Amino acid sequence: MRTFALSLLLLATVPGMAMTRVEADSLAAQGSRAYAAGDHAAALALFDSAATAFTSPALLYNIGNCHFKLNDIPHAILYFERALRLAPGDADVQTNLELARQNVVDRVNELPGFSLGSTWSRIRGGRDADQWARRSLWACLAFFVALAAAVAMRQRTARRSLFALSGLLFIGTALSIAFAAFRHKEVTDQSEAIIMSAKVDVRSEPRDGSTVLFVLHKGTKVTILQQDNAWSEVQLANGSVGWMPPASLERI
Amino acid sequence: MRLLTSITLLLALLLGAAGASAQEIGFSAQVDRNAIATGEYVKYTVNLTNSRERIESPSLGGLMVVQGPFDNSSFTIINGRMSGSTSRTWVLTATAPGKYTIGPARVRVGGGVIETEPITIEVTKGASQHSDPNATQGQSRDPNLFTTITLSKSKAYVGEQIVATYMLYSRYNSLETTKSDMPKLDGFWAENVELGETSWDPQLSTVNGLQYRTAVLKKQVLFPQKPGKQRIAPFTMECVVNRSFFNRGSAVEIRSNAAEVTVMALPPNAPPSFKGAVGELEMVVKADRTEVKANEAIELTVTYAGKGNLKLMDAPAFDFPGDFETYDPKVTDKISVSGSGMSGSRSYQYLVIPRHEGEFRLAPVEFSYFDTRSGSYRTVSGPALTVQVSPGDGGSAMIQRPNKSDVQVLGKDIRYIRTGDLGLHAADGHLFGSLPWLAGMGAPALGFILFLGWRRKREAQLRDVAGSRRKQADRVARKRLNEAGQALNNSDRAAFYDALGKALHGYIGDKFGLGPAEITAPRLREHFARYTGGEQVATEYIRMIEACDMARYAPVEDRPRQQLYDEAAALIGRTEQLVRS
Repeated sequence: MRTFALSLLLLATVPGMAMTRVEADSLAAQGSRAYAAGDHAAALALFDSAATAFTSPALLYNIGNCHFKLNDIPHAILYFERALRLAPGDADVQTNLELARQNVVDRVNELPGFSLGSTWSRIRGGRDADQWARRSLWACLAFFVALAAAVAMRQRTARRSLFALSGLLFIGTALSIAFAAFRHKEVTDQSEAIIMSAKVDVRSEPRDGSTVLFVLHKGTKVTILQQDNAWSEVQLANGSVGWMPPASLERI
Repeated sequence: MRLLTSITLLLALLLGAAGASAQEIGFSAQVDRNAIATGEYVKYTVNLTNSRERIESPSLGGLMVVQGPFDNSSFTIINGRMSGSTSRTWVLTATAPGKYTIGPARVRVGGGVIETEPITIEVTKGASQHSDPNATQGQSRDPNLFTTITLSKSKAYVGEQIVATYMLYSRYNSLETTKSDMPKLDGFWAENVELGETSWDPQLSTVNGLQYRTAVLKKQVLFPQKPGKQRIAPFTMECVVNRSFFNRGSAVEIRSNAAEVTVMALPPNAPPSFKGAVGELEMVVKADRTEVKANEAIELTVTYAGKGNLKLMDAPAFDFPGDFETYDPKVTDKISVSGSGMSGSRSYQYLVIPRHEGEFRLAPVEFSYFDTRSGSYRTVSGPALTVQVSPGDGGSAMIQRPNKSDVQVLGKDIRYIRTGDLGLHAADGHLFGSLPWLAGMGAPALGFILFLGWRRKREAQLRDVAGSRRKQADRVARKRLNEAGQALNNSDRAAFYDALGKALHGYIGDKFGLGPAEITAPRLREHFARYTGGEQVATEYIRMIEACDMARYAPVEDRPRQQLYDEAAALIGRTEQLVRS
């Protein structure tokens, strides 16, 4: 079983060999079984190999769980954040992320933000990143079909109601495109990162020896403002800004 | 009578001989052997014959007096000759190897002094020294009075008990301690052994042949707390020795040796239930009963027993079911600290009250300790207890209502992973903005545009049909009018009306793009209304069609056929003019 999983894993990691959806599903299923058996390290390896070519909020969530069980809190947070970005408002992910964050040393007081609650995030986020894009396609198709029907119709009342319907569908299309664009930007946004080093000195300038502004610890989330010479200028949730040495971050 | 005379003679002879030899004084010294090992004894005897003077003790040249000096005198008369001898004997020993010279013993006889020959003793190192090396070391500092610290082990694990003994060795008859400074212990957790009043040991002990009175000043059980070489600093004592009624004695300050122990760290592969217990231990878990009614108490006792640091033991990690009411355990210690270390037992007594009926399994308590005998960790597991709780006595008069209580949160953990279909999709592809998405968005628009184009083309086609009909309308009507004219000449009534009707219907249908069924009075008026003065023509045209239809299907002719023909031709011409303008 283990050797089989390993060989699958090796197959999956050979570059140039495309993994099929079925293979990835099988890897993920094996990972679930390993997790159930308590072998979190093996489960992580299997999920990771499935994640080389495929992704989904559930897969990222499972990987985060494995990291949590292996006591790698920064990576657990990283993957929970990734899962949450694909599926905003997912209750399981939020719960586990909150639990993982309890193990983070730094407590950053977040600036009061604008939030409309989880229902809004579910609507906004959809089931996955592409859902709004798919919706926009359907809405676009429906709009043109309704418009064509309205044009073709001779009877005046039918024609009018079809025009009204196509108007609504046009609004729907525009909205879903806007949502899809927003989600696309959100999902492809690489500006947020999680600190992986146990302790990082955040400095005033991107070089060693400059003034240490504050010290951060693993698991804390930061926003990368810009990069210079592999140093990253980061901003904390409370607004503090400083430079961080290379290789202490992993982008969400 | 003769016999009596001869005895008297004999006595006189004997006495005479003794009197003669009493003049020769002998003085010599001897040892029973010249070579000893350290710790062995040598007997040194000085013999003085025929004198009763006092022998002056020689200098012993560094040798220790174990016993003596013993004096021994004898006086004999042999054959009337008297001989006397005095001997003085010492039992000597040496603590260190080397050459020792016993100086000459002297005796004053008459005006002169007689000396013995000095004797050299060779002391070699003893083969085996059974005595405490600390004592030997102490003895070399001061052979008469010293103190030692002795540890029961020179190597121990962290937490393993070591017994430290603080001893006083003395060869003085009287000794008073005035001050003692016990060492400070760094890196150890110490427990004093109750010794009562310090007193001399009734048994003398011998160190390298020297006998000492000993007293245990203090005994401690030490538990090293950190690995590495740990040192116990020497302790100092101030004593006054040889104090007597006549003598104020002399003050002596003595300092013990420093003790050292190598503390080994515990191996790294500690089991999870290991909490620092080290020693030779065991665990007993007992429940006074396992079948109770709800709200009755169960007493659970966990006893740790054996040798080791029982006082530093932690309470066992019992995992009670959530709705068991539990109290802090009662701790009972039966721990004795003696010269062999700390031993005994510590019990944790839990009072547990199940509040609800049911069968409850208590997970076995695990206890791990580091076994100093085998130098490895050992884990002892208690029995898995099953508690059978039957419903409590409610009493018939009382209505028992279960106490409402909040669901207790017993543990916190992350939620379980997602299983089943994870809804995987390609990691690198985003639908939005991708080519398929753009195609998907563009395709309906393109389709719509195509649809509009097709529709326009078809309409144009339709318009073209109507236009050609309109253009041809005049010609077709004239052709039909000619047919009607021929029929008029042939006096063929049916053919005439048929042709005339067709000419009127066909012309107006072609002109306005109407089907045969659509040529009705309202539709014609509607179409004619678009032209100025169309209403009149419409009325005339409708009347003409009606007249023509009337004559066609009924044998009624309101005017001559020639007149009708001319009027129809004129009407079509006027209509043509109207529509053209």
